[in-house]
Amino acid sequence: MRRVRDWFANPWGQPRALGAVTWLYMAWSIVPVCIAILFSFNNGRSRSVWQGFSTRWWWGDPNNSVLHDPSLRGAIEQSLKLGGLDMLIAVPLGVGLAIGLTRWRGYGARPVNYLMLFPLVTPEIVMAVSLLLVFSLLYSIPFGTEAQTLGQVTFSISYVVIIVRGRLLSIGPEYEEAARDLGASQVGAFRLALLPLLWPAVFASFIVVFALSIDDFVVTDYLSAGQSTQTVPILIYSSVRGTATPALNAVATVMVTITLLSVGLAYFVYRWASRSQPATSGSALNEIAALEV
Amino acid sequence: MKTGAVELVQLRKQFGDVTAVDGIDVSIEAGEFFSLLGPSGCGKTTTLRLIAGFERPTDGKILLDGSDMAATPPHRRKVNTVFQSYALFPHLDVFDNVAFGLRRAHVQKADVRTRVHRVLEAVQLGGYDKRKPGQLSGGQQQRVALARALVLEPAVLLLDEPLGALDAKLRKALQLELKSIQERFGITFVYVTHDQEEALTMSDRIAVMSGGRVEQIATPERMYEEPKTVFVADFLGVSNLMHVTAEGPDGDSCRTKLGDFALRAGCGEVGHRGETYVVIRPERVAVEPYETAGENRVPGMIERVVYHGASDQLVVRLATGDTVQALFVNDGSQRDWAQGTPVQVHFPAEALRVLPASTAAETAVALAPEAGAEGASPAVEVGAG
Repeated sequence: MRRVRDWFANPWGQPRALGAVTWLYMAWSIVPVCIAILFSFNNGRSRSVWQGFSTRWWWGDPNNSVLHDPSLRGAIEQSLKLGGLDMLIAVPLGVGLAIGLTRWRGYGARPVNYLMLFPLVTPEIVMAVSLLLVFSLLYSIPFGTEAQTLGQVTFSISYVVIIVRGRLLSIGPEYEEAARDLGASQVGAFRLALLPLLWPAVFASFIVVFALSIDDFVVTDYLSAGQSTQTVPILIYSSVRGTATPALNAVATVMVTITLLSVGLAYFVYRWASRSQPATSGSALNEIAALEV
Repeated sequence: MKTGAVELVQLRKQFGDVTAVDGIDVSIEAGEFFSLLGPSGCGKTTTLRLIAGFERPTDGKILLDGSDMAATPPHRRKVNTVFQSYALFPHLDVFDNVAFGLRRAHVQKADVRTRVHRVLEAVQLGGYDKRKPGQLSGGQQQRVALARALVLEPAVLLLDEPLGALDAKLRKALQLELKSIQERFGITFVYVTHDQEEALTMSDRIAVMSGGRVEQIATPERMYEEPKTVFVADFLGVSNLMHVTAEGPDGDSCRTKLGDFALRAGCGEVGHRGETYVVIRPERVAVEPYETAGENRVPGMIERVVYHGASDQLVVRLATGDTVQALFVNDGSQRDWAQGTPVQVHFPAEALRVLPASTAAETAVALAPEAGAEGASPAVEVGAG
């Protein structure tokens, strides 16, 4: 009995109890995803009873497969489109804002730093309703892609600012000062000294913003213009009550694959970008883990 | 004409309510090795940053070879800085780090290569071109930082505690090397340090700063031998400060009273009358057998004996209650100094220095919280770096 206990506690090695908990959690969170992927290859209409392997929901079915159903394909396209737009707009804006808040410090910097956290702590539904009202009544921005992009950018910027700001605070002002001392202008110091050190945080921001965007349901749904601009989460949600087929699982699988590929790609780009920076090693997630709020 | 003369005229820098530099006047000659010495928070780094252009003065002038630089941004000043943290660009290799400034100045490509290689040879880093800063040791990084600034042939080189992060042995070696590089290049060095030994060994002249003001500017010898204020006497090495009553001049020395004992002080403000301080360096204090007769002798008791390797340090409590330190070179002679031994302490008149009275008032404050090399003067809480 005691030997079993000792083996489990393993006082001289890595504690096996912690390992066990970790693996249990991994299994717990991955199993549902695997089952969902598996059922996209089901040969029947059921999403819960296995009826043999087929690719009919991917491309075999002439009407309802991912390849042939325009609403499914449209949702994937809309999700990717919004993700891309959100990244392209929110990341540069957020980086600029973070630099402004940490470097060119003014009287407003402190309150703005706290206000940046608002989108993170506001319930998303509240945010969505407010955006809906403001966009329709105040700015008359057409619903659909434009409003959805603006809505997503609104809350994504906060994450970018927080990620980049943490990095900026750890870099300190001396690299820019050194660059200026050696003859670089203010813009030159930013481009030549600060930006190269900031790349890892910028990449981390890209990943986070993309993930936020394709994951977002509430804001994107509120600001959509009906069927033509529905994204994958909206599609899945609205199909649950209707005629849900394994094609939905196939759509979800596509999204999972794209996300994994982009994270994988970003990981290697990140490693490459931060190869000469001893302070950071590992993944872009370090940037997020090292957040300083 | 040699360039690189710096003149600070009534230079003042205020951060909000805190005055970091309080109207200092310093004039640094071309080609001089000039140190700004002081405890942390005395305003020395701020002064350096003002010369570099990273801070704008609240008031006053910074003249480089006669022309005011206050309105010139840092990248247009003929001064370069070696940072305390080196601030080498981690994403660039050694060559690109050193070439950074030359490329900003649009120097021809071939010229860049020869100049970078020449300066890397000068700091003994030939062949390290392709290394990244992360692959270099602390001492090597320090040399790259130096090369990066030297390659631009600045009129003035500013060094902010450049040896602060290195271990003691490397530091000693680099002190000598820095000094010889300075002589070879003939550039004005303005060197910020809190290490009094470093300042003494390298500088042509030193300015001791405290609380945003300059206490004294002098050569190392004069600074050590003839401190003008209590702060300087205390900050530069260990000194024995004793509160005395001066009774006026007696020939070319001064009669003073330490409690009931008469002390003749041979240098400093010998004409002074009234309350003041006298100072004597520990290596000038002599310890003799109890009841040895003669002038300037005070009885005391050995309180502590500290073995330092090359020297012995004695702490003696005088009959008046003051404690003094005495330092003896370990020359092999046998001394039976045990704790509690009664002795006679001799303060040779020619080594006993009367400090000006103007400092007596502030001294009472300065000495209260054990003012020492770590600098517990009232000014320490004030100001940045």
